[in-house]
Amino acid sequence: MAFPTTERERERRRIVIMCLPFFVLATFAGFVPLIVMARMSLSAENLENAGWSFAAWEALVTEPVYREIAWNTLWFATAATVVSVALGVVISHVLEKYSLPFENVLVAVVSFPIALPGIVVAFMAIVLLGRQGLVTNAVAVFTGSSAIDLASATSVFGLFLGYVYSLVPRATMVLRGTYAEVDTRAEEAARSLGATPFETFYHVTLPEIRPGIVAAFILTFRSALAIFGTVLILQALAVVTLRIDYEIGVGFNTQIAGAIGLVYALFLIAFTFVGLRFVSNKTVEI
Amino acid sequence: MTDYYTDSKAEAETGSKELRSGTESKWTSARRSASERIGRPTLVWIVYLVVAILVVPILMTFISSFASTATGVLPRGFVTFEHWRHVLGFGDYGVRANAIPGLTFSVLVATGGMILNVIIGIPIAYALSRYDFAAHNWVNTLAILPIVPGVILGIAFLRTYPDYRGSALVLIVGYCLLKSPYMVLTVQSSFQSIDIVKLEESARSLGASWPRAFLTIIVPHAKRGILAGCIITWTLAAAEFNFTYMVHTGDPEPFSMFLFRNISNAPYLQSAAAISIYFSIVVCAILILQLLGNRGFTTLNDDR
Amino acid sequence: MSTVRLESIRKVYGEEVAVDGVDLEIRDGETLGIVGPSGCGKTTTLRTIAGFETPTDGRVTFDGTDVTHVPPEKRNVGLVFQSYALFETKTVRKNVTFGLKMRDVSKTERRKRADELLELLDIADLADRNPATLSGGQQQRVGLARALAIEPHVLLLDEPMTGLDAELKLRLRDEIGSLLDELDVTALYVTHDQEEAMAMCDRIAVLNDGRVEQVGTAESIYRQPTNEFVATFVGTSNLLTGVARDDRIDLGFTELADDMRTTGEVTVAARPEDFSLGGPVDATVLETTYLGQRKDLQVELPDGSTITMQVDGDADYRAGDVVGVEIDPENVQIFPTGIRERTTALL
Repeated sequence: MAFPTTERERERRRIVIMCLPFFVLATFAGFVPLIVMARMSLSAENLENAGWSFAAWEALVTEPVYREIAWNTLWFATAATVVSVALGVVISHVLEKYSLPFENVLVAVVSFPIALPGIVVAFMAIVLLGRQGLVTNAVAVFTGSSAIDLASATSVFGLFLGYVYSLVPRATMVLRGTYAEVDTRAEEAARSLGATPFETFYHVTLPEIRPGIVAAFILTFRSALAIFGTVLILQALAVVTLRIDYEIGVGFNTQIAGAIGLVYALFLIAFTFVGLRFVSNKTVEI
Repeated sequence: MTDYYTDSKAEAETGSKELRSGTESKWTSARRSASERIGRPTLVWIVYLVVAILVVPILMTFISSFASTATGVLPRGFVTFEHWRHVLGFGDYGVRANAIPGLTFSVLVATGGMILNVIIGIPIAYALSRYDFAAHNWVNTLAILPIVPGVILGIAFLRTYPDYRGSALVLIVGYCLLKSPYMVLTVQSSFQSIDIVKLEESARSLGASWPRAFLTIIVPHAKRGILAGCIITWTLAAAEFNFTYMVHTGDPEPFSMFLFRNISNAPYLQSAAAISIYFSIVVCAILILQLLGNRGFTTLNDDR
Repeated sequence: MSTVRLESIRKVYGEEVAVDGVDLEIRDGETLGIVGPSGCGKTTTLRTIAGFETPTDGRVTFDGTDVTHVPPEKRNVGLVFQSYALFETKTVRKNVTFGLKMRDVSKTERRKRADELLELLDIADLADRNPATLSGGQQQRVGLARALAIEPHVLLLDEPMTGLDAELKLRLRDEIGSLLDELDVTALYVTHDQEEAMAMCDRIAVLNDGRVEQVGTAESIYRQPTNEFVATFVGTSNLLTGVARDDRIDLGFTELADDMRTTGEVTVAARPEDFSLGGPVDATVLETTYLGQRKDLQVELPDGSTITMQVDGDADYRAGDVVGVEIDPENVQIFPTGIRERTTALL
């Protein structure tokens, strides 16, 4: 390979050269830290990697609190993902099929929260559902109850809104990419054969966007699992990311934090690769 | 709203509406189906509701940042720039409320991450768009999806590179890896809109070596995607919180930590002003992205 | 300009054989056309000459020099694509001077040469435009000027006219044809359109299934196809089966003289114009197709086989009419049956 003579060999060398910078970064910023974190979970000391101990993993398996956290994380992320993807389908359908006024602005507005860090999203939830929140006070006016009792920003409901706020834009953008490639002629053919809009959607559009829905689900679920800032501010539910912060912050249990982190990272990687087996890579766009 | 009940754009063009409104026959009915009468307006109202939930708190926050009191439901006492002056460091009180040093630091670090992303992102996006090879799908998945969440990467960094905790280098490298999918996707989207194989072959047949063909022909053809990728990765890195929270030392204090401190501790109006600084950055980013053909803060390019 | 030779080129991708032993010569100054069905290996052959594919076996030589392993950028080969592949980040003039810049030709010289070529191709007024703003025909001229600017050993044209509208195609065909003659360019013209190849090329190679079936002038390929594939791929041929014995061929409904002295089963290829009316064989008209100047008749011969023949456009025949048919023995081609198996498997 040092002095390639065929075009195929030159091409192989180019592929390696072009992928190399990314893999150097991924190695030093991704793989090596993950391995060190795995070692960290097995360390006997909490301030440095020294000695060997399975204590952290034992705690993870035996203490019920970790099972509860895993359950919290999974159901909450799944619920938020399902709602977000459903709303994403509706939004991308409406944007693609109906001519709404100011469509460009709508797309920009829907995409805006992708740029917001989780802590800002938490603030948005407070603006809507906090004690001075718009929704809280609107409900208070109609029901006559006190706004302070109605405030739900720091409840599970408030956190759910925060999750959906972050996830709807992501789900929508993936689905918008899928919708752009739907063959409108097939839909027109269905309509001209007498199908109602709903029948057309169910029999023609839905099968075409199904890979996009799967891709949106995978990406959105991944994003949901990675949310930290929102839950750090609202503190409504003990999920994995919050627990990791707690392990570090209270008692500096780096071994347990490392073990949770490793399980989480491996789960995410496995989930992604298994999930993506069902869809082509082309549908994965953010 | 006059065309509210007409059907989809596509259908309006084909004129199948006329077909339905024509003479009644066994198969022709003048009645609209339930999904047309109810389904469509319902969907449109869901979209408006979601858009309202997304946009109202943003506008509310931005507007509040110019109000002088917020004791009631709606902020009152417009227009004051006091909170903006305060968070931007021109106020009379505590220097710690000043966003400028943090913002400067974050701008520099985000720019570093963006440049690093150009260096690693364009080549791999090219390799993935141009060539087919054995592990193509695996490499693609790795490149377009962040490997691990920021919080976990942060913890791993703390133990792996303890001496560099909170340093600009660690932040640049971390931001680059966490945001690289956006660069890879936008550049890939650009490459897919042009015939890179034929362009490269033309340039090479004319005598350009392969590196020269790549740098002088291929890269300039993808400049819109590259610019879009730069803007997205930069904006996201400028306010990255999860990773920053884990690795930062507080000196200098990154912008996202400044936001965090404001959101968790400061008075409502001051938080609103601090967040509005970032809103302004995002609005600028979206406007530039629109000029480049991306309709919103997304890697999708509508021009292809 | 040079003579390009391909010597027993084979190209294998994994299991699939794309090119299977191609020997071809593009003579100095000639335009050689390659025609063939899709997947026949014509594009692979072109890319092998350009250097984008290294053959699994065989050699490529330019004027006797082996270039098989020379990378594309060092071959001095001009390429014109169907999709033009112009550099849209550069002006038309910069597109044309790009190759010269790579050869470190001085700026004034580059400009002079580019302007000459643009003048020659009648697009001098577009020099400062962005190629993206030009029409398809204009873009193709720019592509041609860009490839010619480097004075290539050989100019490779890969379906350059596909995608242009019919009228423009005809005009550009004549223009480019005479330009290639005038500049004495050695060129390889790959196309799926045989009519285009006949109009533009000095010689034509018919490729099928990775092999060269026949090389020759347009006339020899049309009039003296050497096998069934060429006979049916180039133009229309009626294939009739017959039995050869002594020096005659029995077609069932008529007999032909055969000076080749073949024996056994043979296939006879006859063009629609090789049949005429007023002959002794009674045939039934099945279908007529009016094509203006001429009319195509599908007729059924007494032995049950169906042929296509041409008559004058004004001739009044309808389905069901019985006509007398005659075959002109001068122009028919006779091949031993059997070659057909390989060729038709692909059609």
